Amino acid sequence: MSYFAMALAWLFVALALMVAGLGFPAAHLASPDTLVLVHVVCIGWLSVAMCGALFQFVPVLVAKPLFSERWALPALGLLTAGLASLLAGFLGLGGRLPAWLWLLPLGAVLLVGGFGLVVVDLGLTAWLRPVGPARFVLVGLASLCATVAFGAMFAFTHAGWPGSIGETILTSGVPLHAIAGLGGWLTLTAMGVSYRLLSMFMLSPDVEDRKSSMTLAAGALAVAVAVIGGIVAIWLVSGLNVVLSIAAVLGLATAALYGRDLIGIFSGRKRRQLELNTRMAVLSFASLAAAGLLGVVLVLTGAFAAHVGAFTFLAVFGWLSGLVLAKLYKIVAFLTWLETYGPVMGRAPTPRVQDLVAEARASKWFVIYYVAVWFGTLTLVAGQASLFRAAAAMMTVGLAGIVREVIRTRRLADVARSLRFPDGACAPHLLFARA
Amino acid sequence: MTDYIDVDVRPILRAGGEPFSLIMAALDRLEPGQGLRLYAPFKPVPLFAVMADKGFAHSAQALDAGEWEVLFTPAVTATKQSAPACSTPDFGDWPEPVVRLDNRDLDPPEPMVRILAAAEKLGPGETLSALLRREPVFLFPQLEKRGYHWLGGFSPDGATYELTVRAPL
Repeated sequence: MSYFAMALAWLFVALALMVAGLGFPAAHLASPDTLVLVHVVCIGWLSVAMCGALFQFVPVLVAKPLFSERWALPALGLLTAGLASLLAGFLGLGGRLPAWLWLLPLGAVLLVGGFGLVVVDLGLTAWLRPVGPARFVLVGLASLCATVAFGAMFAFTHAGWPGSIGETILTSGVPLHAIAGLGGWLTLTAMGVSYRLLSMFMLSPDVEDRKSSMTLAAGALAVAVAVIGGIVAIWLVSGLNVVLSIAAVLGLATAALYGRDLIGIFSGRKRRQLELNTRMAVLSFASLAAAGLLGVVLVLTGAFAAHVGAFTFLAVFGWLSGLVLAKLYKIVAFLTWLETYGPVMGRAPTPRVQDLVAEARASKWFVIYYVAVWFGTLTLVAGQASLFRAAAAMMTVGLAGIVREVIRTRRLADVARSLRFPDGACAPHLLFARA
Repeated sequence: MTDYIDVDVRPILRAGGEPFSLIMAALDRLEPGQGLRLYAPFKPVPLFAVMADKGFAHSAQALDAGEWEVLFTPAVTATKQSAPACSTPDFGDWPEPVVRLDNRDLDPPEPMVRILAAAEKLGPGETLSALLRREPVFLFPQLEKRGYHWLGGFSPDGATYELTVRAPL
């Protein structure tokens, strides 16, 4: 719960920045302000939320306890401190703070430490039974390592340390850093986790290992081509176009294969009535498909470089953030239910998980959020910076509504009073879950 | 040379039955030094740990059509091994289940609620069996906290998880 709370806090920070017009699209894509915004979103919100979800979920995937429960909190501390230091460094680059450039390498070291703990802890846990979704997590963690390595190199280069090799990689390596992070770490991990969550919530048979490994192989290959091929291309000074085109084709293939697997899960389901988290996840899959389509159209019209911001925005907020929010809504409800009523189950009447949530009310906020994201994407394509700020404000409203629902769930506010605390049950803490 | 008693649990499993008590009964009939030859329609992995705790080494051999022949040989020095999917080493005297639940078509977490509710009604040492779609990973800690023992594993096609729960004595 602490991870989720911290992640949501950073998401609010990101939205506030967008509403205030700091960073892209008001500023250039490579400007320090944009770097602030991008790292708040990708590390503060998405990575922290993903780590929190994986700490809960990887043990479930492999039916083994986490390698070390005790590492989770220090890792969160390191990640938070590292991100704060990194952001301060970026603000220094942009002249908004004194240019203490040593903050960048310091942030990088702290982040390497935090992500290192996460990777070792989750990696050793997933390694025990590397089947199905757990393999997605392992590939995701490997991509995370690549992302962090690039990032650390950039940070040291900004501080002026590694010399000419660092400069070369900084000037052309940014797309590789982004692909490894957004594509490898966040997208592949989210896909892996979604396989199991969707079939669990819809009572659908698991996707055949053969099919999901094909999807994973395509995705892993796309990331590997981008990262390894990219490094070779930078080495040979041959330009990244060929490598990135191959990676893009493989990326599209991954999205298509993933779509095929999802259709399989949906058509094989036993439960006809879909819960809110699944219905909203569908909107995020639609966003992923739309992002793929947008990417293709932009490449064909030769406008990809000009609109890479719109493409990334849709992928980050429609696909990744949307999926995380939809699943968060369900996971918090389930964990809260288990924590509160697990000990008394079978001994006293307990509410159902669905009694902890009010889906009709929550779905309104989700719809506001998604519509705002799609509207925001359009304003970016159209180059309307002020309309984009309106879209960001609307996203903030949607998000605030979703967070309010999650807090109500955590406080058991929607459970009928007579059922709320059977003998022996006690109220969960808002931010800390008891094991 | 060890001689073996044959136990074929394939018909029981095909009929949807629970062969565990039969295997344990056969085990009780063994003379000292005798082993058990088990025919099963799948590799009975959960059983390996149980048998290891009882002092039997196993060697499994795949037959045609995904079936398995497993030799359980009494080891001279029984190696203690922790079981992956069970909470206690002592399964020898588990009685027939008094409750059988088919929770395969229930929405999660209803299967867990039902199993816990039914487990509460068991007398000391009694067992219940349940069929599920998935390995009930969230149920195990709850059973453990209440002092129950369990044994579980997937059926050959991987579609059904069979769980046996025993109340504390």
